[in-house]
Amino acid sequence: MEMAGWAFVAGFPLALDRRYEAETHMWVLVTEPGRARIGMDPVGIETSGTLAQLSFARVGTELAVGQPFGQLEAAKFVGPLVSPVSGVVLGVNEAVAANAGLAERDPYGAGWLIEAGLDESGGGLAGLLADPAEITAWFTAKIARYRLEGVIAQ
Amino acid sequence: MSEPLRVIDFGCCPPLRSQTLWHAVGYGVSAGAPATLSFVRPAAPYVCVGYHRRLDEVDLEYCRGHRLPVLRRMVGGGPVYLDCDQLLFQICVPAGAVPPARRQALQRLLEPAVAAFRAVGVPAGLDEDLEICLGDAKVCGHGAGQIRDAVVVCGNLIDHFDHQRAVRVLAIADPAQRDQTLALMRRFVAATPVDQAAFRIALTTAYGAALGLDPVPGEMTGTERAALAELDERFESDAWLAGPALPASPNGVPVARQVKVRAGVWTLAATRDGASVAAALVKGRVHEVRLYDRELDGRTDRAEQSLVGLPLTAVAPALAAFGDPGRRLAAAFGAAEPGRL
Repeated sequence: MEMAGWAFVAGFPLALDRRYEAETHMWVLVTEPGRARIGMDPVGIETSGTLAQLSFARVGTELAVGQPFGQLEAAKFVGPLVSPVSGVVLGVNEAVAANAGLAERDPYGAGWLIEAGLDESGGGLAGLLADPAEITAWFTAKIARYRLEGVIAQ
Repeated sequence: MSEPLRVIDFGCCPPLRSQTLWHAVGYGVSAGAPATLSFVRPAAPYVCVGYHRRLDEVDLEYCRGHRLPVLRRMVGGGPVYLDCDQLLFQICVPAGAVPPARRQALQRLLEPAVAAFRAVGVPAGLDEDLEICLGDAKVCGHGAGQIRDAVVVCGNLIDHFDHQRAVRVLAIADPAQRDQTLALMRRFVAATPVDQAAFRIALTTAYGAALGLDPVPGEMTGTERAALAELDERFESDAWLAGPALPASPNGVPVARQVKVRAGVWTLAATRDGASVAAALVKGRVHEVRLYDRELDGRTDRAEQSLVGLPLTAVAPALAAFGDPGRRLAAAFGAAEPGRL
């Protein structure tokens, strides 16, 4: 099933207007040149479990690809939120920090995590999935694999 | 031949080291050291706060007055009282060795602990909330976290549990809530005094078997010793103890004070417009409640009794029968946020 800019894959919504980091399930939506909003897709959230708390690096903190920009806690398990981009934290979503369930209910919208100023010198967004067909294929394969392995429910 | 499961018994250590030693192992495993099972017993009592918990959940003045250090750990869960009657254990593995779904990873790393309890004669089980229980009492606290590329799950074997002190170290202003919390803790948190050495052997055997690893005694690496020095300093700093930036409570005051005793078991104290409630909740239902509103007159007992056994969602309709005081009390109950426990 598809709507403009959206796909629904095996029960999960998939926004096709943004880029994705394939391992961490972080999405990156460029909102203006050099600036992007970052969040986690529903599969990433599903594997995290029921979110209890999100915390973020302070505004002004430098971001590096593969390094944490915050922490997530679910089921007494604290783990890193891994940055898909390099740059600097320009803003954090105080609403989702106050109510982590927002990221579960609206992962592509009100449940965004941080806003980043992008450092284009280190390859920028080159490592992210950007083509809608490629994104859909990745998302479909990932859900199928996770279901086969029992990582997420059938 | 199997890969090794390094086993380190740190023995009896000061409070700070009873935390920083195994955190340092996390950095070591992340850097390539083998999966590691470690043990440590605190030499003195202290309070340990989960990574995301607010420091104001702890009665810092009481802790200072009784020389109880307060430390923040890098794994999850609430503030806990730890002392020499508890053997702390930690299993630390490379992140790639466990499923990407956290609940599954946690389950995989807690099941061997259950097997160890059973091996020493405690018929414990892992409940649907992934707590290690004996009947309806939790017998092993746990927390988990990812330290760089290593996952660590920690737990404890409790010889004797000082329920009174475990509640006293918490910041609970309402005396009724304090009483309720203590009563619930006595019922739902239990010690399992067993032979310590037998438990250590059983745990080592169970983790070795579950992970397909060969347990071997080991020591800390140079990386870990370097990490330990840094962690000792970090954990004693005010900045670390303060914790990560979290949104401020409205007007700087918590709307409701909630204390979790174990999964599904908690207490609540809240005040709205002069009406106050202190309630104990068990598996989503009111177990015991104290109400106050100046206009409730002689109906307090009846109002309290009307709520016992009700699910939280049915409290407001039940209180509606008590007019304006009931509405104020319902508003106080409305401050409950069980999702944030």
